This record gives sequence, C-alpha cells and structure tokens, in this order.
Amino acid sequence: MTASPPTSRRLFTMVWKLLRLRLLISINSFRHAKTSRKVVTVIAMLGLLAFIAVIFVLSWTLLSFLRSPELGEIIALDPAPFLEMVPVLILTSLFLGILLTSFGVLLQALYLSGDMDFLLSSPMPIRAVFIAKLLQAILPNFGLISLFGLPVLFGLGISAGYNFLYYPFVVLVMVVLALAAAGISALLVMLVVRVLPPRRAAEILGFLGATLGLVCSQIGNFTQSFNENANITGEQVTGIASTLVSINTPWMPLNWAGQGLVAIGEARWLSGLLLVGLTLVLSALAFVVALNTAERWYYSGWAGMQVVAHKKKPDRMTRRHSVARSERLHPLARLLPNPVRGILVKDFLVLRRDLRNLSQLISPLILGVIYSLMIFRTGGEPPPGQGEAPAWFMESFRVVLTYGSVGMSLFVGWMLLGRLAGMGFSQEGKNFWILKASPARPRHLLAAKFLVAYLPALALGWLFLVGLSIVQRLPLGDFLYSLLAVALCLAGMTGILLAFGVAGTNLTWEDPRKMTAGGMGCLGQLLTMLYLPIAFGLFIGPVWAVVAFKLPVALGYLGGLLLGGGTCLAGAILPLSLARRKLERLGEA
Amino acid sequence: MTDPALIETRNLSKRYGDKVAVNNVSFDVRGGEIFGFLGPNGAGKTTTIKMIVGLLQPTAGAVKVAGYDIQAQPLQAKAASGYVPDTPNLYAKLTGRELLRFVGDLYDVDRGQVSRRIDELLRMFDLTPAGDDTVDSYSHGMQQKISLAAALMHDPRVLVLDEPTVGLDPKSARLIKDILRQMAERGAAVFLSTHILEIAERMCDRIGIINKGALIAVGTMDELREIGKAGESSLEDIFLGLTGGAEEAEIAEILK
Repeated sequence: MTASPPTSRRLFTMVWKLLRLRLLISINSFRHAKTSRKVVTVIAMLGLLAFIAVIFVLSWTLLSFLRSPELGEIIALDPAPFLEMVPVLILTSLFLGILLTSFGVLLQALYLSGDMDFLLSSPMPIRAVFIAKLLQAILPNFGLISLFGLPVLFGLGISAGYNFLYYPFVVLVMVVLALAAAGISALLVMLVVRVLPPRRAAEILGFLGATLGLVCSQIGNFTQSFNENANITGEQVTGIASTLVSINTPWMPLNWAGQGLVAIGEARWLSGLLLVGLTLVLSALAFVVALNTAERWYYSGWAGMQVVAHKKKPDRMTRRHSVARSERLHPLARLLPNPVRGILVKDFLVLRRDLRNLSQLISPLILGVIYSLMIFRTGGEPPPGQGEAPAWFMESFRVVLTYGSVGMSLFVGWMLLGRLAGMGFSQEGKNFWILKASPARPRHLLAAKFLVAYLPALALGWLFLVGLSIVQRLPLGDFLYSLLAVALCLAGMTGILLAFGVAGTNLTWEDPRKMTAGGMGCLGQLLTMLYLPIAFGLFIGPVWAVVAFKLPVALGYLGGLLLGGGTCLAGAILPLSLARRKLERLGEA
Repeated sequence: MTDPALIETRNLSKRYGDKVAVNNVSFDVRGGEIFGFLGPNGAGKTTTIKMIVGLLQPTAGAVKVAGYDIQAQPLQAKAASGYVPDTPNLYAKLTGRELLRFVGDLYDVDRGQVSRRIDELLRMFDLTPAGDDTVDSYSHGMQQKISLAAALMHDPRVLVLDEPTVGLDPKSARLIKDILRQMAERGAAVFLSTHILEIAERMCDRIGIINKGALIAVGTMDELREIGKAGESSLEDIFLGLTGGAEEAEIAEILK
C-alpha cells in the first residue's frame, strides 16, 4: 500500500480529531475530578477573565497617560516612538517565549509521552500528528502570553485610536509567529535528541529551568531589597526608553510585525501591509519548512540516532581499580550495619546522578547565599536606630545578631531537609519493593534515611556557619557553641520531617518533582517551623540571659545545651519511634 | 518426596473491601521443587505472590517461608527468599554492579563475598560488559536479568518469580530456565507464575491453577490430567477446561 499525500481537508479533519481527543481527555478529567477541584477550576477561570479585563483597562489607562502632555513635562522624550515599540516588544517576547517554552513540551510530546508509536501506526497522516502535537505544545503558553499581551495591544490600539484593521491583524500575527516559533522549536528538539537521549535532555532541561528560575527570582528580590529606598529619576526613565527605542530598527525581522501593525493602525497602508505581509509569509514559510524537516527527521529515525560516541569503556585494570576504590569505605561507615550503609551509599548515588533531584537540592544553597548577603550586608552590627534604645537592649540585640549565622545555617538546613527527610521514603517510589522484600529492619531503614537527610543538611549548615562566622569574626567559644546548636537543631528537624514523611509517603510518582508527601509533608514542614524558633530560642535564651544579667557565659552555654539539646534529641527520637509501626506496613496498598 | 516444605500457605485470603482477590488458598512447595502458578489475567496470581514475599498483608490465613511465618518472623522469612517481580522496577541511576552491591548489603551478605558474587552473577547472566552502565540504559531483557541476579545475590533457599521470562530473548529465557533447574537441584524451592503454558509443562514439577481468587487445581501433570476432562492431554487443554476458556478456544478455532 502506498501512502498518497493527504488532501488538506483530510489533514484538517485528522488534526481536529486529535485535538478533539485532547479536549475530551481534559473534559473527562474535569468531570471526574473532586467537587472541590471543580470549584477551584471554575473560580480560576473566572479569575483569569477578570485578570484579562484588569490588564486591558490598566493598559488602556496607562498608555493614554503616556500620551498625555503632563508626562512630557517630566520626561524629556517624545513618548510616540516608545509606544510604537510596545507591539515590537510584545511580539518578540511572544516569539522567543514560545520558542523556549515549547522546547520542553515538545520534547515530552514527541519522545517521552509514549503515544507517538500508537498514533503513527494508525492510518493517520504523519503531518496531522505533528500539527496536532505542535498545537498542543503551543496552546497553553500561547494562552499565557496572550493573556498579558493581547489586552496590552488592544489597549494600545484604543488609546491611540488605531484603525479597526489593526485588531484582527494583531491576532493573526500572534498566531502565525507562535506557529513559526513552535516549528523551529520542534527542530531544536530533534537536534538535541540527536546528541542526548530524550530522558537525559528532559532532566538537564528541568535542572536548568528550575535553577535559572530560582536564581533570576532571587536576584530580582536581592536587587529590589538593595534599591528599595532608591527613587527612579526622570533621567533613568528617559534612558531606558531611549535604549528600547534604539532597538526598534527595521533591520531585525522580528521587529517587522510590530512596526507593520502600528503602521496599519495609523493607516499607513503601504508600509503596514508590506511589513505584516512579510512577517506572515516568512513565518508561514518557517513553519512549513520546520514541519516538513521535523517530520522527515523523526520518521527516518535521524533524530533518534545519537551521534555522540559513548564514553570509552575503561580497560579491565582501570575498572578493577575503580571498583576497588568504590569498595573502600570511610572508617566510620564500617561501623554501620550493612543495610544502613547500603541504603546510604545507594541514596547518595541516586541523588547525585538524577539531575531532577539535584535542582531541588541546590535551591537551599542558592537561597542561603542570597539571604546571607541580604542579612549580613550590615556587617553583623545592629542598626543605629534613633539612639533611644537602652544599652542592655542593644547588647541583647547584638547577641541575637551574633547567632544570626546559626539562624541562617538552620534555614538552609531546613530547606534541604524538607526534600531529603520529608521525601526520604517517597523518593524510593516504585523501587520500594526492593526494601520491602528485603530483611532490613525498620529501625535500620529509619536510621539510613535519617543519615541520608541529616549528613548533607549538617554539612551545608556548618558550611554556612563557618563562612558567616568568619565574616562576623565570631569568638571561638561562640563558634563552637553554634556548631553544636546547629547539629542538634538539625537532628531534631530531621526526626520530625522524616516521621511525617513516612506518614505521607507517595510511592506512585513518575517524576521526582512530583513526589510531594501531600498533607502530611506540609504538616511536618509547619511543625518544624514551630519547632525551629523554640529550639533555637532554648539555645540562645540562656546565653542572652547570662549576658543581660552579667553572669559567666559558660553558664549560658551549659543551660542552652541542656534545654535546647534535650528538646532537639526528643525531636530526633520520639517522632521516629511513632513512625516505626507505620513503616512496617508501608507500600501495602 | 522427603524435602521439607519451604513455602506453606494456609487458607490465604486477601480482600479489598467487597472484592475478594484471593480466597482461601492453601498449598505447599517443597525444597528441590519447581512449582508453576497459572491463572487467567486478574485471577490473583500476583496478589498471592506479594503475600508470600511479604509485600502485602493477608486479610486472613498464613504464609510460612523456610519455616518462618511471614507475619510473625518477617525478617527471617525474607532473608531466606529471593523475589523477581513482573515489572523490574529498579533504581535507574545505579549501575548493575552498584545495584547488586546494594542488594548484598540489604541481605547482609558478607562484604568479602559480595564482590566475588557480583562478578559471578554478572558473568552468569552475560552482563559483565554492562556492569558499570546505569540500569536506565539497559534493555527490558537486561533489566529482567539483573533483577534475577539481584534475587540470587544472597543464594536464597526460596525463589519466587512473577512472569520471569516475559520480554526475554530465547537465549536468556533458556538461561533462566537452566538456572531455576539448578537452584531446584541444589534443594531450593522455586515458585514461578507464568502465562506460557509450555514453560510450565516442561519445567515445573507441580502446577497450581488459580481462577477468580481460588486455587482450583494443584498437582503434577499426571494428577492434573486426572482432574481435567477426559481426553485432555496438554496443559493448555487442561487449563482452558478448568478456567472456562475452552469455549473461547473453540470460537477461535472456528474463526481460523
């Protein structure tokens, strides 16, 4: 049987069938969802509509204001070129946004969803499958970008009194640019898959996305906190606007769509239709060429044949040395029972090798560094205030600041423990049967998971403590006391979070980022938020008291260790002893 | 047969609410014996297996493995058994060698013996070249083999396998059959579930057939022939006759 090229009617019928299937799945998911979820979905949809309306009104008002003569008095710049830049900015963001966000969705849809073989083996044109996949990939992100972009573009049109043809062209240009971006994104996916296995590519993408997102958001917060008192001057606004306007050159094809839309809006028909027409033709061409090439690469298996040579296998001697090295154990590890040691080694290997885990694990490090910079930029000295505070208060405040490094160490430790202890058992997922069918005692399992969570959290906490103590020039006595306080507080937190993690274990996840321990995990986090200030307070309270009453500091240390240490040890042991019975029946759903 | 029973199930039942998955199942598997466990889809094979290896708590009844009650003495019972599940869910980011070492640690195998045992098993299953690759790079057959290697790591007296030959090439399937026979000859009890009746007929010393949660027949091939309808000589005929699949087989014959 030879495949004849599909007619456009048949092609669109098939695309519609595939899209209708996706729609049906969404409707079924909604219909079978819990009532509470349905209510939340409906409220979210209404909220979205309200949000669109708000953005529309805001942009209309704001853009009208930008044209007002009052603004001209503040900023020595004609606002018209800047306003003409708005469509260019929005359409460029749309194109680049779809290009980047579709990458992950298409990687999933084409290589990891598992339905491609089923669809391609059915009597359906491969092009219909690809178009449907591309549309499914761009729809959510297109919707999201349109949510912000469309009201602004329409608001601009109304505020500037643009011609009515401006509005349908805005929609048309946005759709065509999104399709072109998705087509190019599909090609990029195939180029990457040619070099990396799809699952590995998805892991790397997830890691980069999560890390970059976190870094960007935190840098934003950081910058904001530094500039919170700084006022933006008219010169600065003028400078930013001039920079933006200078980008709007006709030499960048991505600018043509925005410039053309403005020209159509202002009834400059020749330049408007030429620029918009060029955009439409080039985008459609890019989409068709990308679609054809992607189909061909996919169907020929070109993308699936990874070109990167596998790592050269080590020779027998090297392998023997490396095996011998891996068998060499830390003297302390030899003291552990075999099952505890086995789980410890296994978990550290798995956590390190799965990049999806790693993105969750480095968040505390990034946040810790940024918050440390924010908190300690004053050099660890209390702010001078108005000079009305009594001396004893300032001295006590200094004690609290001295132990601010302990607070920061505990904070990063707490964040790390949320993942390592709270999801200690959930991370076993479908592999839990190996532990369950083994003769490992529940107390060994708990001890192993405790160490897997505690040791990295302690290492990270101490690392921050050492760094901050050096910056603060902490006295040796205070430093050693802080080391002990951090070690004990983290032990207590590990016990609480691990116990709640056992109670809320989820063993059915497919993606490590979705292994949240549910309500129990949340409860554990809340409880540790309560426990942490109490334990911390019990450590520094006695020290603060002896400083305030001018008693020997050693007494404060002793009191803090007894009170805080006792509370921490109770936190480390009691919840776990309660979780032990639950652990014995874990996974017997 | 004088070997002691290494797997004993007595009135074993499992209910999920109103649904009865396994109903009053009793049988023994002795040392040196390969016991085949057959049944249609959803008959309760995997549920029974999970109760034997201690993955699932029975609603009623008891299981003894190597003389230890799986409920009362789970650690001793588990230490004596090895289990190969139907789907080899293994730690994808461990290498084959690391996985076996981890299992060796879990089963408290002497550290000095672990490396020797790993090399032996990797060689036996033809996995030595892939021993330092992570499990996620293995084919289904290789994962099945490393899963069996892991079950053999501590040289168990009882081996429980759920569909062990699914997805294996003929060479690997033959290897597994040979290994199971060797295990039985060394006195171990081998309990395996399978849908491939030919394997059960040729390999197993005794066969149990489960249908709708109830054990409807247990015995050697000769004993099963006596239980089945007159004239049925192959295990397929006996199985279809007992599980009510004979009518479907006739329809399939007409459709040919």
